[in-house]
Amino acid sequence: MFTYIVRRVLLIVPTLWVIATLTFFMMRLAPGGPFRAERDIPPAAMEQLRHKYGLDRPLGEQYGRFLVHAVTLDFGVSYKYPGRTVREIIFEAFPVSAELGGWALLLAVLAGVPIGVLAAVKRNTGADYSAMGVALAGVSIPNFVLGPALVLGLSLTIFLLPPALWHGPASRVLPVLTLSATYLAYIARLTRAGMLEVLRQDYIRTARAKGLSERVVVFKHALRLGFLPVVSFLGPAAARIVMGSIVVESIFAVPGLGRYLVNAAFNRDYTLVLGTVLFYALFLIVLNLLVDVAYAVLDPRVELG
Amino acid sequence: MSIGIAPPATVLAPSRSVRGDSLWHDAWRRLRRNRAAVVAGWFLLLVALVSIAAPWIPGLADPAAQNLPLGATAPSAAHWFGTDDLGRDIFARVIFGGRISLLVGLVGTLVSIVIGVSYGAISGFRGGKWDLAMMRVVDILDSLPYIFLVILLLVFFSRSLIMLFIALGLVQWLTMARIVRGQVLSLKNQTFIEAARALGASDGAIIFRHLVPNTLGPVIVYTTLTVPAVILQEAFLSFLGLGVQPPAASWGTLVSDGARVIALFPWLVIFPGVALSLTLLCFNFLGDGLRDALDPQERKEGA
Amino acid sequence: MHRSRLSALPRAHRASATLVACAALIACAVLALSCASRHPDARTAAETALHARYFGSTTPPKDNVFRFNNGAEPETYDPGIAVGQPDGRAARILFEGLTIPDPQTLEPRPAQASRWELSADGLTYTFHLRPGLQWSDGAPLTANDFLWSWMRVLRPSNAGRYASLMYPIDHAEEYNKGHADSSSVGLSAPDDTTFIVRLASPTPYFVFLTQFYTFCPTPRFAIEQYGDQWTRPGKIVSNGAYVLSEWRQQDRFVFTKNPRYWDAANVKLDRIEAYSVDDLNTSVNLYKSGAIAWTTSGYIPSTFIPYLRDFKDYQHGAYQGTYFYSINVTRKPLDNVWVRRALNWSIDRVSITRDLLKRSREPWGDFCPSGYPGYTPPPQIGFDPVKAREYLAKGGYPGGKGFPKISIMFNSSEDHKRLAEAIQQMWKRYLNIDIELSNQEWGSFLQATTAVQYDIARRSWIGDYLDPTTFLGCMMTGDGNNRAHYSNPRYDHLLHQAARELVPEKRLAMLSEAEKILLDDSPVLPVYQYSVNDLVKPYVHGIWPTALDTHPLAHVYIDREWEQHLAPVAGMAPVARVTPGPSARLAAIAGRFPIEETP
Repeated sequence: MFTYIVRRVLLIVPTLWVIATLTFFMMRLAPGGPFRAERDIPPAAMEQLRHKYGLDRPLGEQYGRFLVHAVTLDFGVSYKYPGRTVREIIFEAFPVSAELGGWALLLAVLAGVPIGVLAAVKRNTGADYSAMGVALAGVSIPNFVLGPALVLGLSLTIFLLPPALWHGPASRVLPVLTLSATYLAYIARLTRAGMLEVLRQDYIRTARAKGLSERVVVFKHALRLGFLPVVSFLGPAAARIVMGSIVVESIFAVPGLGRYLVNAAFNRDYTLVLGTVLFYALFLIVLNLLVDVAYAVLDPRVELG
Repeated sequence: MSIGIAPPATVLAPSRSVRGDSLWHDAWRRLRRNRAAVVAGWFLLLVALVSIAAPWIPGLADPAAQNLPLGATAPSAAHWFGTDDLGRDIFARVIFGGRISLLVGLVGTLVSIVIGVSYGAISGFRGGKWDLAMMRVVDILDSLPYIFLVILLLVFFSRSLIMLFIALGLVQWLTMARIVRGQVLSLKNQTFIEAARALGASDGAIIFRHLVPNTLGPVIVYTTLTVPAVILQEAFLSFLGLGVQPPAASWGTLVSDGARVIALFPWLVIFPGVALSLTLLCFNFLGDGLRDALDPQERKEGA
Repeated sequence: MHRSRLSALPRAHRASATLVACAALIACAVLALSCASRHPDARTAAETALHARYFGSTTPPKDNVFRFNNGAEPETYDPGIAVGQPDGRAARILFEGLTIPDPQTLEPRPAQASRWELSADGLTYTFHLRPGLQWSDGAPLTANDFLWSWMRVLRPSNAGRYASLMYPIDHAEEYNKGHADSSSVGLSAPDDTTFIVRLASPTPYFVFLTQFYTFCPTPRFAIEQYGDQWTRPGKIVSNGAYVLSEWRQQDRFVFTKNPRYWDAANVKLDRIEAYSVDDLNTSVNLYKSGAIAWTTSGYIPSTFIPYLRDFKDYQHGAYQGTYFYSINVTRKPLDNVWVRRALNWSIDRVSITRDLLKRSREPWGDFCPSGYPGYTPPPQIGFDPVKAREYLAKGGYPGGKGFPKISIMFNSSEDHKRLAEAIQQMWKRYLNIDIELSNQEWGSFLQATTAVQYDIARRSWIGDYLDPTTFLGCMMTGDGNNRAHYSNPRYDHLLHQAARELVPEKRLAMLSEAEKILLDDSPVLPVYQYSVNDLVKPYVHGIWPTALDTHPLAHVYIDREWEQHLAPVAGMAPVARVTPGPSARLAAIAGRFPIEETP
């Protein structure tokens, strides 16, 4: 196990290097530059700006300098927001996305797993159908529909919760609900499927035959393995929920990293894009590694490597 | 070598009446018994037919015809689903929107299948260093944030429909490649492949004539689950303004445009939203049904 | 590896689950429909009729804090570099120039300068600063600060995009373009409270320029010490009514009262919080729920306007900007003037503004907006499909036959898209030509329009100062903002002559003739004139709709007994929505003033 982890960690560097290179050249090759504006900039001023940010150097040299700086996690200054370094933008925005995503995943797991277990245990009863029905609905309704619907119902018709922004505990509720809906649905379905598969295994039958109560059987023996599909789903989901919550961040005006990345791509803010992409990639790789390790820990049949 | 004594007919009779069941026959039977999947299948067929026939349906308004003085009106006898603020009939727009959404979903999925299956099959078949390298590439691409890739693609090249298909398909192929590779890995050491090799079949032939057809089960299942994912991705892109261009409108465009003004004109999002959600639901049901039908474990249970 | 199965619904009961799922979907739909089919301002019967006439919550905040939506995140609020409305608003809260605009009439009022004189030849202004002015950190503010700040704006290495506003100053343009030395610029500060400006030629609107944020002083010591980081809370030093106490990007600004402001006794708010919400619907939602007390202009979707029009907190007025389509006159078939005229005369502007934009804008057929005192604009382009078809035939495409496919390019935004769709339909209907639409994101759009790589592109222009040259100058041959490759020597000649003409009537007449030539050549297709549309809570005093959408916030306050103080307060009576026409109001103002651009 140890050698496996070491090997995976060592592979991170070349992976990131490839991603950085790909992103760098893709951004540079896209049309439009960071200093275009509706109002014309006199050529002299444009030249000054390009020189200041080193954009007038040959591409290879720019690439080299970028790599050298990236090693020290210095991604430079954002082009769109002069005076702010990329690192500080990421470190300011990431905790917000992480908090939003964290609450959403927590809710999804805390609510989804019990629903899935209930559905599996009470298979073919009313509880099962309603649970799975709601789960399926959750998967099919996009979150940019659910969000405005929730806002309309809970914020504009009755002034119960704030419709946007990220100030104070009350404002967390709607964005977290919206974001967690799809994941809750998936987790409920996955748990149910996993539990069903596990519950018909021989060793469960043995446990029951031994006289253990149903509750012990379900929660101590079955859930450990029945939870596995959820674990392997959680890794990519955790990474995606943090970055892919762009829609929720736009609708609810949450100052998170997703919004930054999209706007930066649109604005050709090279430095911010590169920094954010690399950060995201690193995050995802580490999360995947953690998930694989957790998987191995939970399921003794799995052999890593 | 004959024993010389023929077994009595009564002993043989039952074994003669058992017919061998191929995988497909078996699967089809199981699928037919899954009522939900069947209903879903019929619904999708209906949606597909209506979408294809849309331009020729009599009495259907032109989805692009504007009626500015009318503006947004609630559903009525003249406009079953109401109108949007340009005065366009929502019923017609939902029908034509389905056309675009299904087209986007199917073509995007097709792109991902073609790329994913070939890549996964080659990688699994070659094995060794090739496999390691190719899967590494897949891992790396998986680490790139999807939306960023798509924005750059749509920005760097033109905003045409073709580009949209390619962009959408390019992200989904990764999982397809993984699935196919897994299948190929377990299949490639089986005897029928050895036999093909012994007969002198080239690598290409082995991959594409023997291995790939045997991976079709999971591929089909995954396809029915990819189509709704692609449709949803396109809706997401429309929300960002990167989806299909006006006056064409997919369900995604209609839904994301309508969701913005839900406080005032809820019908703009409800009707396309229900259409979209129902279609996605049905794809999911069908996919689940196919997966169960093709699952060898289910076969074992004497289904 | 352990295989996972994503579902194992019992086959026989999947149908039931389907039913439940559909029921859940439909329940949500019905709920949403029923919630919204009530009047958007649904209230219980117990609410008083008074409150029902306002949009959303009318409860003043518990604290003495004014909250509003500033719109898109500013790139920078360094006044010497800032460009754009959100940047400008933040800069104006923090900094103050020689003059500030009156919140209602926009007349320049003494601010950092208590009085000024103009020399007889109209070329030299002498501004006298108030004694005892201070920066927020206690350092004295002198005329030298103004001198240094204005020179900083003009310095070529600064790449300030609004440096061109200072070009009326003697030798400013040459210095900014790198042709002259800094010592030749016509600015001087003979002592701490006197600031002298020498102009290149008489410029009647100069005093109004001085209230623009580009002309605000900036703290030399902070900038030299902190460089690009000087605008951070804790480092920033300002001279306006408020100081910056907190800034979270993409989230909010928090401004607190500046005790060292010269007029601090009259500043009644404790704090201002400005949010950076760029989604229009979210902005309106925040206003409705009471989280913000003011939605700035441009942050209300036009689809909402008809519904908001009847509420008393909706404000509306004309704005010094026009929206038009720019034509690349080097591309076929748009190089043919008859084709362009045909396109111009087949746009039904009235229908667009009335039906599509729900009367939130004015239909407009001139290039320059209304309201330039003394200026008689040429006759507007109208809507005449018959004439348009004739023009098209003259251009060589009778009945639209053989017309090549061209496209309208616009940047991603609901309103641009809808308008382009409407015009696409009009050209199809009246001229029988097929046009494509090209929805570009902002970066590509700017690239394409700057490099003039398009057929027809949507553009707007907001004037910088109240004179037609701020618009007409853009279309001169070779001007950086001439994104149509338009070139007409007669037009250029007229504008050059007008620049040298000292008699105002003759000058304006020349400009009018130039605009007439421009409209006739049709490199631009005007559509509408902008308006300002705001929502302001009834308990907020001090915000009025202005033609430049400029709102000095120094004297805004929250009135908790607003119900008792209703009728006579200006800006709140229903009449305010029908503000006197721009020309009437502006004619009452002694001069002109600059405006910024909003994309």
